[in-house]
Amino acid sequence: MAEMTTNRIPLTAPPTQAALADRAPVVREGVTLEALPEGTILHLLARPTQVAAPFADKVAAAGLDLRVVAPGQWFATAPTVMSGADLVVLSQALKPEVDVVDQSHGRVGIVLHGPLAARVLAKGTAVDLDPSAFPVGRSATTLVGHIAAHLTRVNAERFEIVVQRGFAGSLFDDLSQMSLEFARL
Amino acid sequence: MASLITCPHCGARPKEEFTVKSAALPRPSADAGEAVWFDHVYLRDNPRGAYEEYWHHTSGCRRWLVVSRNTATHEVADARDASEARP
Repeated sequence: MAEMTTNRIPLTAPPTQAALADRAPVVREGVTLEALPEGTILHLLARPTQVAAPFADKVAAAGLDLRVVAPGQWFATAPTVMSGADLVVLSQALKPEVDVVDQSHGRVGIVLHGPLAARVLAKGTAVDLDPSAFPVGRSATTLVGHIAAHLTRVNAERFEIVVQRGFAGSLFDDLSQMSLEFARL
Repeated sequence: MASLITCPHCGARPKEEFTVKSAALPRPSADAGEAVWFDHVYLRDNPRGAYEEYWHHTSGCRRWLVVSRNTATHEVADARDASEARP
């Protein structure tokens, strides 16, 4: 038991290395797959009856991108790490409307970009990715293969995928496999 | 099996994203007696045709839905959030 106590990692310690540190970007003809830098991912939770996000301005002012997850749930993401002090300030500002759970170490971002990004992603998910049904700014919580993931169309040819940390490596490898038909010869 | 469920929050999604619980039946009162509760928990009619079930959108919005589907044609007539669709 003594060893176990000494080996305990404090809850505040950041992960020792990025989940996808050993995955180099995968460059194909017309589509590229990359791990996003591990910045900030906050999970915002309100009552499921709350569909509107009246706090969107406060989130944007903090430099975060707001994405719908489910009724009463959002992700607020940024490519840079938010300091603990800033997080406390934001949490308190949002407190009456929504609760904030820091998922920056719990979830990992992967990006798929290029003119063929939608073709690659469509192999793994049943979400209709046509721009008319899934326009820029739209998000969806869905399965990519067998892995639960959260998709956002950031622009016409760029999809950001947020996945639980432990599944990130498998999802990255799956996406790499799915893009293999566009490999450069 | 109905392959596409029209989630009121997420739109049409494949059944693989969902978990089916059971028939959506009105809950007996707490003092209804053993026989009524046994019936409610264990006995099902297995009808051919229209059927209402609880489905959980496990890999999507994680909301409980009441899905009305036809057990013969697999057609989904309606899917509502369970909080708005108490039988």
